[in-house]
Amino acid sequence: MTNYGLVIDQERCIGCQACAVSCKQENNVPMGQFWNRVLTEGGDKIDTPSGGYPEDGGSGSLDMEYQPTACQHCENAPCVKVCPVNATYTRDDGIVEIDYDKCIGCRYCMAACPYNARVFNWDEPEQMPEEGTGDVAARPQGVVEKCTFCSHRVDEGLDPACVVNCPADARIFGDLDDEGSTVSKYINEYETDQLLEDRGTNPKTHYLSGEMSPGRPQTSDKMESELDDVSPWSDGAEDVPSDADGSDSSDSGGSPHSIEGDAAPHVPAVGSGGDD
Amino acid sequence: MNDPQQPRLTPIDEWEDEAAAMLDGVEYDTDLGLRMARDAIRVSNGELSDAEFHEKYHEELLAEFGEDERPTKPEGFDDD
Repeated sequence: MTNYGLVIDQERCIGCQACAVSCKQENNVPMGQFWNRVLTEGGDKIDTPSGGYPEDGGSGSLDMEYQPTACQHCENAPCVKVCPVNATYTRDDGIVEIDYDKCIGCRYCMAACPYNARVFNWDEPEQMPEEGTGDVAARPQGVVEKCTFCSHRVDEGLDPACVVNCPADARIFGDLDDEGSTVSKYINEYETDQLLEDRGTNPKTHYLSGEMSPGRPQTSDKMESELDDVSPWSDGAEDVPSDADGSDSSDSGGSPHSIEGDAAPHVPAVGSGGDD
Repeated sequence: MNDPQQPRLTPIDEWEDEAAAMLDGVEYDTDLGLRMARDAIRVSNGELSDAEFHEKYHEELLAEFGEDERPTKPEGFDDD
C-alpha cells in the first residue's frame, strides 16, 4: 500500500523560503498564515537568521541551521485521535487531511499537534489577490487548516509544490512503502531523524543531516514525461544511492516518485512547461 | 493567541501553556481539549491504548459535542 513521506535534506536547504512561498501560493493559504515555513536559530524570532558574512574574504563561513517545518503527517497522529467529528483523518495513502465541511473549529487538534503545524481561520480569510491563488479552494472562517502534502497534486501524480519549487533540490517526496522509491533509498542510505521522536508520533517527514545527499534527482512521472533532457551537471548513476543489496530496482513497478533502476537523475529544464 | 500562526517547535515544558492559548476563547470545553491533547500523545508513544483513550473520553465528548466520531473506537464498542 502506498504510504507517502518526505525527506528534507538539511545539508542542502539554503533557507530561501521558496517552499513556504510556493506552498502558500499553491494552496491559497490566507494572508497572515503559513502551512510551511523554515525556522532558523539565533535570530530575534524563530524564523529570522543570525550570524554574519565572512569578513574581508577571510576563512570564516556563514553557517546557518535551517529547520523546514510543516505538518509531519504522523503515522500515530494525535490530531486525528482527538477530533470529535472525524474532520481530521488519515487517507489510505498516509496523508493526514482535514474535511473542512466537517470541521467545527474546536481546535482540539491544534492543541494536540506537537509541531504546531495547524492554523485557525479566526477571521474571514483574505487572499492576495482577492480571487486567491493556486489550485485549491479557500477554506472558510472558523476552521483549522494545514499542509496536505499537496494531495490535489499527488492525486494527479505530481510532487508537492514545495518539492518541485525547492531550488536546492532539498526535498524528496515519495512512497515510504516502496523500497525502490527515492525517499526509501535515502532513508536507508543516510542518517535521518524525525522531529520530536520521543512523542511516538512517527512522522512521515524525515530530516537528513550530516552528509549531503544528491537531493531530488527525480520528478514525478507526469513531469518526467515532459522532460527531454537530464541534468547537465549529472553524469548519472553515481548520483543515485545504490540499493542495499546492489540489485537493480527496476522491478519496483515504476511507481511515481521513484528512481527507475540506474536512471539518471532528472532536473526540470528551465521553460520545460512546468507542471501546473 | 500567538500571531502569526505558523508551524514551529515548542519545547515540551512550554507546550501546555501554548496549547491552552490555542484553546483560549473556544466555545467548547477547554479543559477537555487539553486533557485529550495530553493523552493523545500518551497514545502515540504507547502509554495508553486507542481503546482506553476512546473509552476515557467518550461520555464527555457526547456531552460536549453530541457525537463521538473518533477513529479510536474499538470494535464492538457500545456507543450508548
